[in-house]
Amino acid sequence: MTVDTRVSVAERVIAVLADVAEDNVVRTDPDIPLFEQDVLDSLRTVDLILALTKEFGVDISPAELDRSLWATPRHIVAFMEAKVGA
Amino acid sequence: MTPYASFFYFGLLLYPLAIGLVLAWFGKLTPGILLGLTLGMVLVQYSRLQAEGPNAFDKVWAIAGFALYQLAIASAFLHVRQRLQSKPAFWFAIILSLLPLALVKAAPTNAGVTLIEFVGVSYVTFRSLDVIIGIEDRLITALSSRQYVLFLLFFPAISSGPIDRFRRFAGDLSQSRTRQSLLADVDSGIQHIMRGFAYKFLVAALIKSHWLEPAESAHGIWSTISYMYAYTLYLFFDFAGYSAFAIGVGSMLGIRTPENFRLPFLARNINDFWNRWHISLSTWFRDHVFMRFMLAATRGKWFRSREVASVAAFYVTFLLMGLWHGVALRYVVYGLYHATLLSIHNGFARWRRKRGRGEPGLGWQVASTALTFQLVCFGLLIFSGRLG
Repeated sequence: MTVDTRVSVAERVIAVLADVAEDNVVRTDPDIPLFEQDVLDSLRTVDLILALTKEFGVDISPAELDRSLWATPRHIVAFMEAKVGA
Repeated sequence: MTPYASFFYFGLLLYPLAIGLVLAWFGKLTPGILLGLTLGMVLVQYSRLQAEGPNAFDKVWAIAGFALYQLAIASAFLHVRQRLQSKPAFWFAIILSLLPLALVKAAPTNAGVTLIEFVGVSYVTFRSLDVIIGIEDRLITALSSRQYVLFLLFFPAISSGPIDRFRRFAGDLSQSRTRQSLLADVDSGIQHIMRGFAYKFLVAALIKSHWLEPAESAHGIWSTISYMYAYTLYLFFDFAGYSAFAIGVGSMLGIRTPENFRLPFLARNINDFWNRWHISLSTWFRDHVFMRFMLAATRGKWFRSREVASVAAFYVTFLLMGLWHGVALRYVVYGLYHATLLSIHNGFARWRRKRGRGEPGLGWQVASTALTFQLVCFGLLIFSGRLG
């Protein structure tokens, strides 16, 4: 049961991320450095925050994330899993 | 006394560093002791024993009063926020916290205002605002007065930053260092301090005496152009040198402040530039102004499109950043100039993405970097006031 929930959180996060970034690389390469490779920037981070807030019903504040915390798709999945799970 | 500007200051620095490092070696460098070291350094740094007439400790009183004032606001707001969310209370706390800085910027010559101003007030105010915003977002749910005052007045960075974030700083405080990581911090500290010496006392000093000052006193278009490059390079080496000192000293005391500059003149475009120049300030504005504005604007549908909202966000953010430097036309124009460049760049980047353009070739990247450098230099020429 726990494994299923984890997978679906991760899948949902990646789906949202791919949609916001308009780039499928987040699916194919979960370790791509998002900001360095310009997959995400400040504006798309705002969109991502809004989309994740809507998807999971949790509050995320810009002050909460520094770019090392959301560096790769894997990082963002871990961040959201902690937020949703906690 | 200006920090990191004289050998006397470096001599003075040896005291807190020696005490701090010895205590750290035995695992006894507590936040309380760090606070004591900070208060001691602030006392020495801001007292003017050679001053005639006015009280030699008036700046020390100003800082003490300021710190207690900010602590009162933060504590009161935390008390409120623990019970309910109130936007008016949040904005009230922000306005109260900003008030001393706003007065200092807007009315610097007013007799009452000169009582409260002190070197570093701009940087310290932004630290206190960071705490209020953290409380509002419920990222800070408890506030130790000792940690707060230490964060606010942390002596290596009090005069010109970097502007640290409370949660990051508190995280460093709560980590007890092994001897191995202590040595790594000392190593990093020494490297940073050496960099500081090279940048500030060697490169910046030479630029100043051999390039900047001659260009400053000359007139005409060519000397203005020369001044533009001299000023840009001088500002970088001087400020990055200072930042290296601040980061190095902090690192030895267990506070691993992030870098404030990262090869800014290699920026590929103006977006990239702001991720490399005065990073602590630009990320502060990005997280606490730009992104919050965009979130509110998008949720509240203030503008007809996201693109228009982002342009508005750039102008609001950079106008405020300009004013943060001072209430003067050149700072306002500097802010608006960068807001315009960023709006244009982001529009262009959006257009390129829609057209499905891939990575630009090396030639384009070099040209883009060179253009960015020119634009940055021109912006700093505006900033310098030479065009006034």
